[in-house]
Amino acid sequence: MWQTLDDFYWTYQSLIHGIGVNGILALSIYVVLAVGQLSLGQAAFMGVGAYTGALLTVKFGTPFAVSMAAAAAVPALIALVVGGPTLRLTGVYLAIATIGLGEITRIVFLNWDYAGGALGLSGIPEKGGVLAIYGTLAVVLIALILVARSRIGRAMEAMREDEAAAGVMGVNLPRYRMTALVVSSGLAGIAGCLSAHVSSFIGPNEYGFETAVTILSYALLGGIGSPVAPVLGAAILTLLPEVLRPLADFRLMVNGLIIVVAVLFMPRGILPWRIARTG
Amino acid sequence: MRVLSKLMLAAAMLAGTVAGANAQDKTPVKLGAIEILTGPNSRYGIAIQRGFDLALADINKAGGVLGGRPLALAYEDSAGAKEQALNAARKLIGRDRVPLILGPTLSNEMFAAGPVANERKVPIVGTSTTANGITAIGPYVFRTAMPEADVIPVTLKTAQSKFGIKRVAVMYGNDDAFTKSAYDVMKATLEKLGIQVLTTETFGSKDTDFSAQLTKIKGLNPDAIVLSALVEAASGIALQARQLGIDPKVFIIGGNGLNSPKLGEIAGASADGTIVGSPWFIGKKDPANQAFVTAFREKYGDSPDQFAAQAYDTLFIVAKAIDAAGAPDSEKIKDALIKVKHTGVMGPFSFSESRDPADTSGVVVLTMKGGKFQLLE
Repeated sequence: MWQTLDDFYWTYQSLIHGIGVNGILALSIYVVLAVGQLSLGQAAFMGVGAYTGALLTVKFGTPFAVSMAAAAAVPALIALVVGGPTLRLTGVYLAIATIGLGEITRIVFLNWDYAGGALGLSGIPEKGGVLAIYGTLAVVLIALILVARSRIGRAMEAMREDEAAAGVMGVNLPRYRMTALVVSSGLAGIAGCLSAHVSSFIGPNEYGFETAVTILSYALLGGIGSPVAPVLGAAILTLLPEVLRPLADFRLMVNGLIIVVAVLFMPRGILPWRIARTG
Repeated sequence: MRVLSKLMLAAAMLAGTVAGANAQDKTPVKLGAIEILTGPNSRYGIAIQRGFDLALADINKAGGVLGGRPLALAYEDSAGAKEQALNAARKLIGRDRVPLILGPTLSNEMFAAGPVANERKVPIVGTSTTANGITAIGPYVFRTAMPEADVIPVTLKTAQSKFGIKRVAVMYGNDDAFTKSAYDVMKATLEKLGIQVLTTETFGSKDTDFSAQLTKIKGLNPDAIVLSALVEAASGIALQARQLGIDPKVFIIGGNGLNSPKLGEIAGASADGTIVGSPWFIGKKDPANQAFVTAFREKYGDSPDQFAAQAYDTLFIVAKAIDAAGAPDSEKIKDALIKVKHTGVMGPFSFSESRDPADTSGVVVLTMKGGKFQLLE
């Protein structure tokens, strides 16, 4: 029995890791979407976190905790710098600016020979694992639920529904937007670092536009009514290709079909309900 | 919600079926294969699958392995994604309990799946992974694909001795591990041969406009263009080079990415004169190769490429190793693989100490004429 369980865990280890990491990424996009912004830079921030963490571990042998802290801090710092000019933009304009940011990051990694260039960085030691991933996910999830229930959460929701009205009511818009971007970048960086340390290899093309859209789709499928919803969306989208494996050639088709149907019939996400308020 | 509950059910069913039942006599020996069977890179994976299937039929017709047990292959699709290759490797090892894995298709995928197989001491044999450092992953990682580091020097040396090239321009796709790693070999070889590099230009693997780089190259007037690219980009470069008026005598010397019939189909006469090195050539005259090409055309109505040929040989090599090992046991197969000697459609084959192909005598240099590759005479 124990042996069977152990084998089961080993077989699906990458998938279990993937669900957790993608859950954190979903929360990272949720934080931005919750204040009514649309960012497609999450993949880039994830990449910065992954490279920061992996480079520190591989080249300098720093302890995992230090790599993690740096992987959160560096993307957050970048967000702080680029946030100033880009957060003047809203809606699609912000989305386009963040796509640009993503492309720049990708090209930097491609041409940075110290970090392996196009060949990527291989031989990253396995660290963290399931405990670190799900521990982080739980802590972040609980923290975001608490925030959503608080005064800040209400302000965020007001911004999402009508920014002008929220501003008039005294919500400090620029500050909320900036905080949301910085927090979400830090989260994406942590997710990148965690996934780099369980997959032993990272390359510059993993953090491109496609990944950004995938991250966004977690929140679109799950919904952004509460922090739990995007995490569920991430779990479903990560599991789907593996669950559908027996379908062989029709796998990707059915995968796409399920997503289209879900979005058509549940436009507010699978879990549209909001968190009850306190305070 | 209904979709969700069905998914949950499917997940539970998947979880329930943990493969058991070890093989007895006459039960098939099942090996795993991870290839790209769907998505934009599926033509590589499907060519490999066809090569395997053809070899599988031949082996089983001749009595299978281990004195009468048929060989079987469990295919898993990686769709070209690193994570999916990793999941597939874990599934094949953990649930299907295969003693050996063939594939994955791309070097990037091998960098993810290789360490997992190595950790569980299951041999994994790449048939198309040519990048540097593949077999350095660990003692259970093998490859039958000739690495770029063995093929490119032969091509460049031939170009130098036959055409007397002295000054070249280099172009490579810098956002792809495969083309970048081939470029690294080209750079080192050009230096060693004392060929002058006038300029090194880069492009992205999805670019369609190369006029800026080619205009610069035209101005420098090189003897040849050394090019590391995937076949789509390479065809675009060949076409645009001629459109920009680069002399047709300035031929292209390509890496393994250009070694595809697609180059002639897309670029036509513009690609004439292009030379590439290849571990295999469809027109090789030996009877084994002729029989393979005929059988492949009969079964699939299509000509085989080098990926199919490499896959075809690989399954025979693996079958020989299983026979030599005497049991479908990972550890024994691994020890037997390193000693296998096989003469297949690609010529004589054995593994080197580092589990790469040891023999490079099968490498041929091809040149494009009228949209088709032929042996360089």
